[in-house]
Amino acid sequence: MTNLDRRQFLGTSLIIGAAVITPDMALAGASPAGWALGVADVEADVPQEALTLVQGKVPVGLSTTLFRNGPAKFRRGDSASGHWFDGDGLVRRWRVEGGKATLAARFVDTPKRRLEAKLNAMVQPGFGSPRRNGAVINGPDDTNAANTSVMVAGGQLYALWEGGSATMLDAATLATQGPKTFRRDLKQMPFSAHPHVDRDGTVWNFGGNGQNTYVWKLNPDGSLAKAEMIALDRNSYFHDFTTTARHLIFVLQPWVQEEFKFPLSTGMSWKPELGTQVLVVDKDDFSKRRVFELPAFSFFHLAAGWEESDGTIRFDGCLEANPTFGQKSASALLRGQHIKAPTPMLTQIVLRPDGKAEMQTTRVAAEFPASDQRMAGLARRFTTHVTGYRNTPFPHAIAKWDWQKGRDDKHDFGDDHLVEEFLFVANGAGERDGWLIGTTLNLKAQKTELHLLNAAKLSDGPVATWQASLPLPLGFHGTIG
Amino acid sequence: MNQLKSIFIAVAMTGASFSAAAVAQDDSATLTLSFTGIAEQEGAVMGVLVDSEDAYNDKAAPLRMIMIKADKAEIATQLAGLKPGRYAIKSFHDIDGDGQMGTNPYGMPTEPFAFSNNAVGNMGPAKWAEAAFEIKAGDNAHSIEIK
Repeated sequence: MTNLDRRQFLGTSLIIGAAVITPDMALAGASPAGWALGVADVEADVPQEALTLVQGKVPVGLSTTLFRNGPAKFRRGDSASGHWFDGDGLVRRWRVEGGKATLAARFVDTPKRRLEAKLNAMVQPGFGSPRRNGAVINGPDDTNAANTSVMVAGGQLYALWEGGSATMLDAATLATQGPKTFRRDLKQMPFSAHPHVDRDGTVWNFGGNGQNTYVWKLNPDGSLAKAEMIALDRNSYFHDFTTTARHLIFVLQPWVQEEFKFPLSTGMSWKPELGTQVLVVDKDDFSKRRVFELPAFSFFHLAAGWEESDGTIRFDGCLEANPTFGQKSASALLRGQHIKAPTPMLTQIVLRPDGKAEMQTTRVAAEFPASDQRMAGLARRFTTHVTGYRNTPFPHAIAKWDWQKGRDDKHDFGDDHLVEEFLFVANGAGERDGWLIGTTLNLKAQKTELHLLNAAKLSDGPVATWQASLPLPLGFHGTIG
Repeated sequence: MNQLKSIFIAVAMTGASFSAAAVAQDDSATLTLSFTGIAEQEGAVMGVLVDSEDAYNDKAAPLRMIMIKADKAEIATQLAGLKPGRYAIKSFHDIDGDGQMGTNPYGMPTEPFAFSNNAVGNMGPAKWAEAAFEIKAGDNAHSIEIK
């Protein structure tokens, strides 16, 4: 690492932390100590291994695959990613079948990863990472970390990021097959990490934010159905959107892009005086649009929405008072620092037919909202979410919020566990008839664990828990394959 | 995101670039120019040969226009009557035959492009200094991988 790099790296930390940071301290996250294990580096792919059942009994007949993605390589040589969102994507495949469970994990082989491995330095810019000496940028996919989520569409597995192409992966080997071009003229068009899927399998997604966003519609077989640019009313940054049966919903937070520069987040400003707008677009006619006004909030994730018979639209999200987490805390994590940020709160947003909008908070801390995919576009009763934010930057519990009864059904894994996203696997017709499957990082055992919980009673704790042979850093999002 | 258009590469090769007539040359240097790595064997590889930094940066007319049918993985052409000196080539694979380098809705190139010396751009086209190569009297050969 050059002196310039080191100065830049320290410069960031000096702005946001009062403590005097030495280079050694700044890289404290590299050593597996405490919660920093959640943002530690993985050096190699993980060949398929059998997991050890450490607790419980595997339900007979359960067969499911959980694909997950998340950044797992942040440091090379003396340099480091400037942000949690900028590490190299490691796709993990957790499989339960015939009473046994396995794990395999493989890094997505991106131009970014190849270049940085060759230079033994993190040089490519990103959301919170600067462009350093040696960076090569000739298009969005040169900086594509392929690290945010996964999607299975038309039988094809993809690793997703938000600023570039979806990356095709072989589901059997997890080998990278290359960027997906849905149509020749759409090469390198961003395909975000948060597609929303209709009950018939139609996939909706967006790509890019700013004055416009690009809307993707894929057929259930994974082929392109429609792709069109739509204008936004402000240069808002957003990581997720949501849908109802009839509408696309873009929440335009007042975290606005004022200029294009690296790191990308340094070109964005928080302007709460603008409030938050909600843009509702007709799925069948993008020119039909309505805008609702709400007080300012920031967010990363939204859950599925629905319409009621009178036209009222409801959806929920994990809303924050401001974007401190994305602006500062998620960078500090990689240096082993915990900068407190406003806790994301599970909140329902209601858009009335008369044009009025309101927010109904649950007063429950929540992130990574998920719901029964079969309920897409329908009124639903539950939202699964991580919770239990205490002394670390990461959650310790998994819960299911009951919108009807106004309460959480929760299991707290304890201080030793950092909890990742859990997803619902159905085993019956109802929203609670099935399991939640997900992972935690066991800091005491220094191993990642796969858990299965009864979706009807999370408070009972895991039905079954398996342990991997190693710890993996915390991932972001997954899908049931 | 649409600002990407101005920030990321935009290899400016419009139809106008190709209207420049070839200038008669006295000298006898010859360049055998080949393009390799052609994945989609249709359309043509289009390019310009320039003999100055100004021409490279579209501030002066290019010396020659290049157009080679892209019907094989490796294609070549001969450019004769060149003066010995420094030259550079900017090229793209016009797969769809519309005479222009295709771009996606955010302005990113969608057709393969390349520069002489296989020089790589960075937030813009490769620089003249990296793309310039020497043509000497007599026979010369230069190969560009286009992807």
